[in-house]
Amino acid sequence: MAETKKIQPDLSFIRGLMESGGDTVNRCYQCATCSVVCPLSTEERAFPRKEMLWAQWGLASKIAGDADVWLCHQCGDCSAYCPRDAKPGDVLGAIRLNAIKYYAEPKAIAETLSNRAGVLGTVIAAFVVWYIIAFLWSLHTGEHFPFPEGTVAYHKILTFVPIDVVVLPIVGLVVWASYKGITRFWNDIAKGSGIESYTGTAPKPAVGPFVSKYVVPAVQEILAHTRFEKCGETKERAKGHKLLLWSFIMLFIVTTSVFILNDVIYVPFLHKHFTPMPLWNPIKIFANIAAVMLVVGIWMIFQMRKEKTAEGVLQSSEQDWILIWLIFAVGVTGILAELLRLMNIAGLAYPVYILHLATVVTLFLAVPFSKFGHLLYRTTAYVYQRYEDDMKAGKAGFGMEKDVIPPAEQAEEAPEDQKQEESKE
Amino acid sequence: MSKKIGLYIYTGDGIGEAVDVDKLLELATGEMGVALAKKHADLYGPEGLSMIKTDVESEELNAIAILGLSFRYEFEGLKFPGVYIEKVGIRELVAWSKKVKEDAEDPDKEKEHIQELAEDYVRMAVTRCQKAELPTPDKLEDANEGILVIGGGVSGLSAALEAAEAGHKVLLVEREPQLGGFAAKVRKQVPVGPSYDHLIDPVVIDLIEKVQNNEKVDVRTGTEVARTAGAPGAFRISLKPTGTKSEWDAPVPLTEEEKLDENGNELSADDQKKKYEEKNEGRHDYMEVDPNAEIVGAIVLASGWKPYQPKEDEFEHLAWGNPNVVTNVQFEELAKEGRVKRPSDGKEVKSVAFVLSPGGKEDDADFPYAGAVTSLVALKQAKYVREDNPEDGKAFVFYQHMRTPGQYEYFYKGLQNDPGIFLTKGAVTKVEAAGDGLNVTVEDTILGEDINVDVDMVVLATGMVPTTKHEAVVNFAYRQGPAFRDLDLFGGYCDSNFICFPYETRRTGVYAAGGVRRTMTIEEAMEDATGAALKAIQSVVAAEEGHAVHPRTWDFDFPDFYFQRCTQCKRCTEECPFGALDDDEKGTPKPNPTRCRRCGTCMGACPERIIGFKDYNIDIVGSMIKAIEVPDDDDDKLRMICFACENDAYPALEMAAKKGLTWSPLVRIIPVRCLGSVNVSWIKDAMSSGLDGALLLGCRYGDDYQCHFVKGSELANRRMDNVAESLNSLGMEPERVKLREIAIDEYDKLPQIIDDFVEEVLGMGPNPFKGW
Repeated sequence: MAETKKIQPDLSFIRGLMESGGDTVNRCYQCATCSVVCPLSTEERAFPRKEMLWAQWGLASKIAGDADVWLCHQCGDCSAYCPRDAKPGDVLGAIRLNAIKYYAEPKAIAETLSNRAGVLGTVIAAFVVWYIIAFLWSLHTGEHFPFPEGTVAYHKILTFVPIDVVVLPIVGLVVWASYKGITRFWNDIAKGSGIESYTGTAPKPAVGPFVSKYVVPAVQEILAHTRFEKCGETKERAKGHKLLLWSFIMLFIVTTSVFILNDVIYVPFLHKHFTPMPLWNPIKIFANIAAVMLVVGIWMIFQMRKEKTAEGVLQSSEQDWILIWLIFAVGVTGILAELLRLMNIAGLAYPVYILHLATVVTLFLAVPFSKFGHLLYRTTAYVYQRYEDDMKAGKAGFGMEKDVIPPAEQAEEAPEDQKQEESKE
Repeated sequence: MSKKIGLYIYTGDGIGEAVDVDKLLELATGEMGVALAKKHADLYGPEGLSMIKTDVESEELNAIAILGLSFRYEFEGLKFPGVYIEKVGIRELVAWSKKVKEDAEDPDKEKEHIQELAEDYVRMAVTRCQKAELPTPDKLEDANEGILVIGGGVSGLSAALEAAEAGHKVLLVEREPQLGGFAAKVRKQVPVGPSYDHLIDPVVIDLIEKVQNNEKVDVRTGTEVARTAGAPGAFRISLKPTGTKSEWDAPVPLTEEEKLDENGNELSADDQKKKYEEKNEGRHDYMEVDPNAEIVGAIVLASGWKPYQPKEDEFEHLAWGNPNVVTNVQFEELAKEGRVKRPSDGKEVKSVAFVLSPGGKEDDADFPYAGAVTSLVALKQAKYVREDNPEDGKAFVFYQHMRTPGQYEYFYKGLQNDPGIFLTKGAVTKVEAAGDGLNVTVEDTILGEDINVDVDMVVLATGMVPTTKHEAVVNFAYRQGPAFRDLDLFGGYCDSNFICFPYETRRTGVYAAGGVRRTMTIEEAMEDATGAALKAIQSVVAAEEGHAVHPRTWDFDFPDFYFQRCTQCKRCTEECPFGALDDDEKGTPKPNPTRCRRCGTCMGACPERIIGFKDYNIDIVGSMIKAIEVPDDDDDKLRMICFACENDAYPALEMAAKKGLTWSPLVRIIPVRCLGSVNVSWIKDAMSSGLDGALLLGCRYGDDYQCHFVKGSELANRRMDNVAESLNSLGMEPERVKLREIAIDEYDKLPQIIDDFVEEVLGMGPNPFKGW
C-alpha cells in the first residue's frame, strides 16, 4: 500500500480564505476547465485545479509550499471559463493574501495592516508620532513649532537625524521580516515540489552563479512584465502595474542617492543640507517624473480594478483597495508637499509633509505584512521556478546534481552499474 | 363464421420494387381465395384508406389483410367495426431487410427467394384472417372503484391523496399506530424545492394532516392486511390488528421441499393435501370468501422499506461492530434525539466520516440497495454535523459515486459551499479504532494521494431493502401463494418489468410506489405515489371496460379454456406469471379475467392445447405455419420459422430493417405476444410440415430480466429443452430449434443472429421429414 498521508483540514484557514475574497472556493467540483485554459498549468501540475482542492480541504501547509500560486498574475481566464462560477482567480488572490499573512512575523502587524481601520490608524499614529518627534526636535534646534519661520524647507521641522533614527529601525524590521518570510517560503516550496532546500541536505548554491543564473533573469522578466502581459482577461492591468513598478524603482534610486548625498556626505562633511534640491537638478527631475508615473500608474490600476470588478472578471478584497489607496496617498502627499513648499505656504506645507512621512512609513512597513508582500514572494517564486527546473533536469550547474539524488536511489543504481560491467565481461 | 376477405398491398416505400406485387395479388385471389385483392401506392393516404372503406362497405368484407407497414403503426382510418384486420409489415420484413447483392452470382435466384418470402407472408396473413375472430369484451359488472393503499408513509399518504382527489374512495392501512412512516422519524429532510442550501422540516407532517382531513380517505392505523382475495375491480381485503393471527390469514402453499418425504420422493396428492392443511391450520382455504372483507378495485402497495442491517461479520474492514461505526439509519436516530453524541462514551461528535461504497479498491459499487438517495442522505447528515458544530464540525464524505440527479444538483452545490464538508471520490480501504475515536484510510482520492483522517464516528451509507423481500405484505389468497413470486429475479422487488412498466407489479391491480419499488428520496416517493395511484385507477377502468392493462391496453380478448379436455395438469395455474388462475379442489383452473395480462403464457404451457385467444391461438398460428410453402426438391430453398417477441425482438427487427440491415430471406417471422405463449405444438407443426428450423427470439431472462411478462422467455427456454429431446429421439438435430435472448437496443446484432442460425441449418441440410 502506498504511504497514506494524515489529513487535518484547517477550518480556520478555509474560513480566512473565504473571508478574504475566496468565498467561492467550495463551488469547485474539479472539472479542470481552469487547468485547460490556464497557460501556467502543466500535465504534471494541474493549476489551479489542485490549489482549489487543497483550499477546499483546508490544507494550509500544502498551499504554503506551492510556488505556482505566485506565478499567477490573476489574469482571470480561469474565472471567466469556470462553469461553476468558483472564480479560481479570486481564490488564488485570497490564497496569496493569506500566504503573506502566514509568513509575516510578527503577525500583529499583518493583522493591523489587513483592514481599513488598522491602516488608517497606523497612518494617523505615524502622523502624531512624527509631530511629537518634531516638537521634541524643535526644542533641540530652536526652530518654531509647528511652523518654522522663513522659507519652507522641510529639514527645518525634521532633519535626517530624527528621521533616520525612526526609519532605519523600521527598515531593519522590514528587512528582517522579509528575509524570514522569503526563507521560510523558499523552504516550503522546495519541500512542496520535492526538492530539498539549501538548508536541507543539498549544499547551499554559490551566491554568484545563483544570482546570475536565476535571480537576474527572473528580475529581468519581472521588469519587462512579459508574463503579466500574457494575461488574457485583464491584459490592460499590466500597463499600470509596469508604470508603478518602474516608478518605485526610480524613487528607490532617488531615495538612496539622496540618503547618501545628504545624510552621509553633505550634512556630516559639508555641514549643509543637500535638500531641497533645485528643480533643475537631474535627481529632482528624475524624482518628479517618477512621482508622476506613480500617481498615473496607481490611477490606471485603480480604474482597471474598478472596471473589472464591476464586470465580475475579478473580485477585489479590502486589502486590494487598501494598497491602492495607500500608494495613491504616498504619491499625492509627496507631490503636494513639493508644490506647497514651492508655493511657500507653510501653514499647509508642513502638515502635508508630515502626512507624507506617515504614509511612506506605513507603506514601507507594509512590504512584508500586506498585499505589498507580493513583490517579495512573487519574485522569489520566479527565481525558484528557474532554479527548480534546472534542479529537476539535473543541470543546476553548481556541482549539486549528484547530491540532489536521494541516497536510496543511488544505492539502487550502484548494483545496476556493476551488473552492466559484469555482463560486459 | 365464414370470412369474406379483402387483401391490400402497399406498393410504396420500395415494396413495389422489391417484389412482383401483381403476382402476389394473383396468389391471393387464386390459391388463397380472397374475395378481392388490390394494390395501392398511397394505401395509408386518404385515397387508399377511402378505397378500403368503400370495399368494406360495398363488398361487405368481414376481414381484411393489409401488407405494407408494420402492425405497430396505427391509422385512425383503418378501423371498421366488426371487421378483423391483419397487418403484416412486409415493408420492414421484405422490402427493407432483403437486398439482392450487387455482386450476386445469380440475382434472379435471389429475387426469387424474396418473392417467395413475400408470397408466404400473403399465405400466412390470409390464413390468419380465415381463422381469427373478433373478441367480445368481458366487462366486469359493478366494478368497485375504491383504492386500497397499503402503507401510511410518505408514498402511501401521497397516493391516498392523489386517488382521493381523482374522486376515488381510499382505504389507507398503516401497520404502525401512527401515520408518517420513516419520513416522520427524521430530524430534517432534503429540500423538495428551492432553495437547496439548507435542510427542511419533514414534509410528511403536512401530508398526514391533509389525509386526516380528507373525507374520502378511510385511515386504519395499527392494521395489517390478512388476506387479499379476488381480482382487480373486486378485490376482497380482510384486515386485522397488527401482529395478530386471523382466521382469514392467507394460506401458504407447500414449498417444493415440503412436497417431498424424508427420502426425497414426492408425496401423494392426498398426503400433500394433509400436509398443506396442517401447515395452514386455523386458516380458511384460499378460495373461501370472507363475508366481512372490505371491497376495493385496485391496490397501491406503498409498504416501504427496511434499513439494510449489516450482518455481524460484514464490513470488517470498515470496523462494523465498533460502537462508533453506525448505519445511516442509526445515525438518523441519534440525530433525531438532538446533538449527536458518540455511542461509546457520549462525547459530543465533532467529526464524522460517511462511507458510500464498502468495496475498497476492488469494487466501487455502493452498499446493497443504495442509490442516489444514499448519496443525498450522506450529504444531509453531513449537514447535521455542521449544524451541531458550526465552528469546528467536520464531515467527510467519501464516495465512489456522488449521485445527485436532477434538481438535487443544487442541493449538492449548496452543501458543497459549507467549509466544513469535505468531499472526495476514493476507495475507503480501512477503518480502525484510534484512541477513543476512529481512523479512516482512503485510497485513490482526487487529492492525488492516499489519505487518512481521524474522526469521532463513521457512518455507513447502507441501503433500503424493499419490504417485499422478506414479507408477503399484500397476503394474496391466490393459488400461487400470498407473496409475490420469483423475487430473486430482481433483488426482492416485485415489479413486472422495471424499465418499461413502472409501478406494474407481478400481480395485476397492485401498483408499487416509493421505497418498495426502488430506493428513492421523499420527493421522489411523492411523485412515484402519483404514478401508482393513476395506474391503480386505470386498472379499475380496464376491469370495467374489459380490456387488459399495460402493455396490451387495446386488448379486449381473454383466453378461452376448453375445460372438457382439461387434465388438471396445473401447468397453467403454476406458470401464469401474474397468478391470474386459481383452481378448484380437483385442480381445474379458475380464470380471473381482470387479473390476466393476455401474455399467453398459459397457452404456451398447456399440453392439451385447450387455451387460446380469439385472434391468437394454437390453431391460428399452427395453420399459418402450415400455410408456408415448402419446396421439397431444392436444397437451397430451406425454410425456417422465427417466433419473435412483440415487445423487444420484433421492434428490434424493424429497427434493423429501418437501418438498412439485411438478413436471410429463408426465414419467416411470426410475431408472438411473449415467448411464454409459444406452444411446443407449433414447433411440431413446423417440423412435420417440412420446415427445417425454428428460431425463438425473446427478452433476456434470469437476473435483471427484461422479459415483459417476467418469465416468458425463461419458460420457453425450458420447454425448448424438452423439444430438443424429442427431436433427438426422432433422429433430428436438436440445434434446429434455437432460442436467443435479445434486448431492444441490440437490433444491430439481430441480422447476424438470424444469419448464423440459417447457416447452421443449411449446414445440417434439409429436414429429413420433408415431403412426407
